[in-house]
Amino acid sequence: MSAPDPNAFSLDINDPEDAELIEYFLGELPDRVDAINQASSSDDVDQLGRLAHQLKGAAPGFGFPAIGSAAAKLEGSIRELDQSTEDINIVRAEVENLVLLCQSYISQTKSSH
Amino acid sequence: MVDPQDLQLESTPVVLLVDDSQFVHRLLDARMRSESISLIGAFDGKSGFERAVEDSPALILLDLDMPIMDGFETLRALKEEPKTKDIPVIVLSGMDSSQDKVTAFDLGAVDFVTKPFELTELRARLRSSLKMSALLKMLAQKAQIDGLSGLYNRSFFDDRFTEEYDRAIRHNHPISIALMDLDHFKSINDTFGHPAGDIVISGVSQIAAQECRSSDIACRYGGEEYVLIMPETSPADAYTLCQRIRERCEATTWSQHPGRNVTLSIGIVGAAEGAGIQCTPAAMIELADRNLYDAKKSGRNMVRASDVNGAPINIAKAS
Repeated sequence: MSAPDPNAFSLDINDPEDAELIEYFLGELPDRVDAINQASSSDDVDQLGRLAHQLKGAAPGFGFPAIGSAAAKLEGSIRELDQSTEDINIVRAEVENLVLLCQSYISQTKSSH
Repeated sequence: MVDPQDLQLESTPVVLLVDDSQFVHRLLDARMRSESISLIGAFDGKSGFERAVEDSPALILLDLDMPIMDGFETLRALKEEPKTKDIPVIVLSGMDSSQDKVTAFDLGAVDFVTKPFELTELRARLRSSLKMSALLKMLAQKAQIDGLSGLYNRSFFDDRFTEEYDRAIRHNHPISIALMDLDHFKSINDTFGHPAGDIVISGVSQIAAQECRSSDIACRYGGEEYVLIMPETSPADAYTLCQRIRERCEATTWSQHPGRNVTLSIGIVGAAEGAGIQCTPAAMIELADRNLYDAKKSGRNMVRASDVNGAPINIAKAS
């Protein structure tokens, strides 16, 4: 299968079903960010990989393909880490990138309320 | 007659989603609302397997990447369990790896969808798998159904009777069978033609199917002969049921030959609760046949019953 087309996942906030999914995802996101931060600070790479993997698979379906790509990058780096001793800083940078991205979506929701 | 509901074409199919991610459950819940399916869920492989055994869904969507019991292990377990081995499984995975795809198909998956999924594609794949499995199921059932009568056929009877017989012996439960034969059927064919004879065959099948309880299994045994398996039924109770069938048959008016009614002779053999059976399925059928012969010899249009030792069951002047 080819790389997913980001446009295939764009949701319409005016559609009630889409709005429900977007709202659900944004509601869950702060807990996910906390979990990612926690796993990162305790160097729990397995847990970090699982969280990234889930976000990668789910975020596009909820209308957040950018979060999906950032999570995919993080998952990829963690996988590399398993095989070689690539610098853990790359993983940390990917975590930071993902967390910042999520937080920007979270703060956008807060300010729009 | 076989219940069309069993074919699962009319009823809403149940689809089981096994995925450890709450997100995926929520997403499919919302996105499958427009499909005529009923979605149930499990969050790990073990409980997914248990749910599948319990609820026998029409289709399973199975995630590969789950902690504890992963998708491949779950798939293996599903394919080894007789109750779930025929349920089609679509594997969902966040890994776009050819090796995983090959493994999934080798283990018996019908399809493989990569996450994040394009939902219109997933819906289309889901529909096509459901359709395919409903048709396969129908085909399997058709192979067990007699075309003219709509009852189960002889080969189904042979397998099913052995199963029911073994179960009755194991639990020391009652079981009865009845052989039923149309009286002077040849003369109906000869006088009114074969189409009229076919109508009688299927009409009597309908009467038998309507009088039977849901646990009874009505089969066409051969030409103008039928056989009923009545699990959990003593020969005395079987006698009552068969009398009803015989009476309704006798009372039926046939539009092709209103002046000529059709009657049935019936031979029953069975074991009452706790009576114990010390014969074989073949010997039981032979005894039923002997009782049928006895009914024919005694004037036809009657029911004769005995226990598995051949001792007649005397029903106080029921006929």
